[in-house]
Amino acid sequence: MDLDEIEILLVEDNPTDAELTIRALKKKNLTNNLVWVKDGAEALEFLYATGSYSKRNIEGIPKLILLDLRMPKVDGLEVLQIIKKDERTKKIPVVILTSSKEDKDIVESYKLGVNSYVSKPVEFDEFTEAVSTLGLYWMLLNKPPE
Amino acid sequence: MLINLRINLQERGRIVVIVLTLVLFSFLTCYFQFYFGKIPISSLSSLYYLHNSSHPSYLSYISIFLTSVWWKKKRIWFAPAFLTILLIFIQLLFITFGFKRYSDYFLLVMFIFVIVIVAFLGERIEKVKSLSDLNEKLDKERSKLEDANKELDAFAYSVSHDLRVPLRAIDGFSRILVEDYEDKLDKEGKRLINIVRGNTMKMGQLIDDILQLSRVGRQEMRISEINMEALVKNVYEELKSSSNKNILLKVKSLPPAYGDRILIQQILINLLSNSIKFTKSGETAVIEVGSKKGHDENIYYIRDHGVGFDMKYVNKLFGLFQRLHSQEEFEGTGVGLSIVQRIIRRHGGRVWGEGKVDGGATIYFTLPSEL
Repeated sequence: MDLDEIEILLVEDNPTDAELTIRALKKKNLTNNLVWVKDGAEALEFLYATGSYSKRNIEGIPKLILLDLRMPKVDGLEVLQIIKKDERTKKIPVVILTSSKEDKDIVESYKLGVNSYVSKPVEFDEFTEAVSTLGLYWMLLNKPPE
Repeated sequence: MLINLRINLQERGRIVVIVLTLVLFSFLTCYFQFYFGKIPISSLSSLYYLHNSSHPSYLSYISIFLTSVWWKKKRIWFAPAFLTILLIFIQLLFITFGFKRYSDYFLLVMFIFVIVIVAFLGERIEKVKSLSDLNEKLDKERSKLEDANKELDAFAYSVSHDLRVPLRAIDGFSRILVEDYEDKLDKEGKRLINIVRGNTMKMGQLIDDILQLSRVGRQEMRISEINMEALVKNVYEELKSSSNKNILLKVKSLPPAYGDRILIQQILINLLSNSIKFTKSGETAVIEVGSKKGHDENIYYIRDHGVGFDMKYVNKLFGLFQRLHSQEEFEGTGVGLSIVQRIIRRHGGRVWGEGKVDGGATIYFTLPSEL
């Protein structure tokens, strides 16, 4: 896979949740250019082409970031804050995809400038529906700035 | 360490009071002694009396000292009262043995006066001390409570996040198993997997309910006047749309209540959905909402004509996870009425229920009728 032409960056520490998410997106053919990173630190390395991703071209930014909140090392809110503060990355749509339904998480995410907040349903059909809907919306319907 | 310091401070305060009183008393007695011509002005010193052990004022020093010693153990007024009576008795003896009447009486009056002042001051000081001690304790308790609350928040957060993740995996992967290996699974295999999924759903519901219970206990309350009639009708309309039972809602005229709108709405959702759930489908059934006037509170009730319950188990009605019907008869987690009880208690009200098997159930709750 060409790391410079990534469309979706999935930031998710739980492998089973990641697999379910990827499966749901795959049904809509949205996984051709998807990269899955396992925590916030790796996400930042990927986006700013540092650490293990230092060979990547920093110009190649993803079209969508799916971000979990609770992760080891750097958590989702911190990643969100950094992305939205940096001129190079602030235009990338970020969707929080998390198990948390807590008000304070939702409020805090929007304060930091998240584009959408989706609470993962426990039920599989609902989950698949939610993930594929948001995938289609952000990848096909939404018009990003050039 | 901290407690020790506090006792020391108290001791120090007590000593200061005693010393000051002694000095004041010496000067006053000397002054009066001088006034009645007993001693020359030049000897205005309390030491003068320490040599004269038969003089009543010398006894006063001892009694003040004793008072201070007794303070700690007895009631604060006990020692001075007792000593005063003793002194009156001694004074009488002195008079009999020929002391000058008025000067000694003066001394006695002065003594009583000083003792009263000392006792009064002492009591004040103790009161202020115990108040500040109490404040300190309250502060500590409050910060403990805050800590506990924060811990609870963190716990609830962890539950909401971490418990849902494995559940989603169980449900998701058992479903994937059915999707991807459909040809290899027979009917029984699919039935078993559906049992797994059904239980996952229940667990998910349980987590949501527990979280809600914890949230209604922690959430800050915003008290306002609530139009109960309108709220009952609104809630019912919303609930009715997801039920196909033949129910007639009768809302009598309800007085407004004072409480948190979101929480009160939650009470009505839980109670009305229970009423709908336990009403048998088929013939038209009535759910009645009414109220009675209580002593500075309004008593509201919601009555249905559903399956009811046995009054034998009424004490279990509001218990957490307590259910009076089997899962096959009626679904539920047994948290709904616990939530109702918690909300009502936070508003300073009461909640209770009456029922009869196959005779319907009535849940009463009270809310303040004034702010």
